[in-house]
Amino acid sequence: MENPYLPDLAEIVSLRDETPDTKTFALRFRDRRRWESFNYRPGQFVEVSVFGVGEAPFCLASPRQGAESFDITVRSTGAVTRALHALGPGQHLGVRGPLGNGFPLDEVKGRDILFVGGGIGLPPLRPLISTMLGRRDQFRSITVLYGARTPADLVYKHELARWRARPDMEFMVTVDVPDQDWRDHIGVVGSLLPKASIQPSSTVAFVCGPPIMIKFVVRDLLQLGLREDSIITTLERHMRCGIGKCNHCLIGDKYVCIDGPVFTYRQMKAMMDPG
Amino acid sequence: MEEAGAYMIGEKQVFAWVAALLQHAQVIAPRRLRGSDVAYDAVESPDQVAWDYRTSVSPLKRRLFPQIEPMFSWHRQAGDGIELRPVYDETERVFLAIRPCDLSAVFLLDRVFSRDHPDTYYLTRRQHSSLVALACTQPDEHCFCICAHAGPFLAGGYDLQLTPLPTGYLVEVGTDKGWELVRQAEELFSVAPASAVQARRELAQQAEQRFADDRAYFAAALRKVTFDRVPEELWDQMGERCLSCGACAFVCPTCTCFTTADFNGTGDGVRCRLWDSCLYESHALEASGHNPRAERRHRLKARFFHKLSYQFAQKLGSHGCVGCGRCITACLGRNDMTKVTARIRRGEL
Repeated sequence: MENPYLPDLAEIVSLRDETPDTKTFALRFRDRRRWESFNYRPGQFVEVSVFGVGEAPFCLASPRQGAESFDITVRSTGAVTRALHALGPGQHLGVRGPLGNGFPLDEVKGRDILFVGGGIGLPPLRPLISTMLGRRDQFRSITVLYGARTPADLVYKHELARWRARPDMEFMVTVDVPDQDWRDHIGVVGSLLPKASIQPSSTVAFVCGPPIMIKFVVRDLLQLGLREDSIITTLERHMRCGIGKCNHCLIGDKYVCIDGPVFTYRQMKAMMDPG
Repeated sequence: MEEAGAYMIGEKQVFAWVAALLQHAQVIAPRRLRGSDVAYDAVESPDQVAWDYRTSVSPLKRRLFPQIEPMFSWHRQAGDGIELRPVYDETERVFLAIRPCDLSAVFLLDRVFSRDHPDTYYLTRRQHSSLVALACTQPDEHCFCICAHAGPFLAGGYDLQLTPLPTGYLVEVGTDKGWELVRQAEELFSVAPASAVQARRELAQQAEQRFADDRAYFAAALRKVTFDRVPEELWDQMGERCLSCGACAFVCPTCTCFTTADFNGTGDGVRCRLWDSCLYESHALEASGHNPRAERRHRLKARFFHKLSYQFAQKLGSHGCVGCGRCITACLGRNDMTKVTARIRRGEL
């Protein structure tokens, strides 16, 4: 019997500062065969262990195809993330996964695709954006709207520049609080929606970010005329096991870890959350 | 020996049987603690089994899903190496003279820990255990297993079920594993006469008449909880009484919330899992400080939704209560299953 609680050993290949409190780690399994069987889809997540400190869930932030390692983007917030930030290349971690359901991909072929990301909500969307750009002819328009609190809080800055330069997609970025050098949009990410060209009937929107952002962006998208099952988001909850056993991430009868973390707005609405 | 559905074993032979079981397995049985309390604990000799007990202070759950259990250890090696070693408990165990409510809870735990991603730790223990029920002829003060169809006698699921009769115990065989337990000590058993089987039937009927006043009207509560027709004020009022102490979860034979924690040595350490409770304020607390269930009424509502909704009953095969009555004794806020279901049915405190 396979033990779903036992991590596999992985090594930090490299790391990069994204913002003052956020780093991206590229990880590689110590056992090469484990990588070969590690087939995940965008939207899935891993449980990462710092032995002696604990374990926490992180979305898989890079596409699987053609890669030799996988990324997690980590904001230093609690015990495990602080310990992660203190580690460097060559150091070992434990990894369990891939876990969760992942985003629909083949299901949305031929549609107009809209991404709305807020702050640290871009990492779960990044592998889906990359995958769709790699299969560009299978989708109609691709639009990415990204917002953060300040310019310093934008993640994947080098990648944002590449997206902006591509002629086959639309990319817009905004910040709530600009600095002296900021020459772009100012305001919450929802304020970009009227500026984008959105065909409500054919668009599927992937929305990730803090709860308050999701709430307002979903409201705006519904007003634009998007269908409830064409608005897709990922939920975050306190998780321990990641496999539907420990009960921490329950919302009504849904486990965010195995029934999600990806839900349509229609599903979210039906979930009875006492909280 | 002739294979039959039921056997008899005499009072004296039972001692010899326990002695024989102790030769090849750990025997977990009702054992008297200091004072009058009884717990399911390892016995070293046959005379330690408290055959005349009514109920144990804690459920059998802890013997299959311990309050703290090691999951794996890590060992740092020279250089940057690290080695992980999983810890499995493969001790052969006979759970002897266990009450039907507690075994009904084990059947529910079996489904919880087998579905989706099977739980290696629980299932390893379970594979190495035999379940010998002791049917209840006299329910205890707070028992209401009859409302949950979890007792006082089991209809199935057990390896063996014992019923006390004047001349010894009737032994019903439920599985091949049970048959094997009988066959290994076959000189102690004899095929049960029809009169013994008839006596067992009568005892079961009598036991059903002997329940005290505690009842849980599950059907009505399930309907209201499922369709969210419980007044919010009622959750509010019940939340006010909840101490968030987690006692109900810890004595509950079907509660399975857990958390994990790493314990460090020098260069090595161990990850353990520990019981948790959905009523603790920190249960849903996120690293950011956001807590989707910061209020007691929300936690209480989530707890009873888990125990009493069709959504979960469908996932688990039954609602999440076996009527053992332990929460009646444990809850200082009087939010036990009988009172909560009664209030839900009435729609008020």
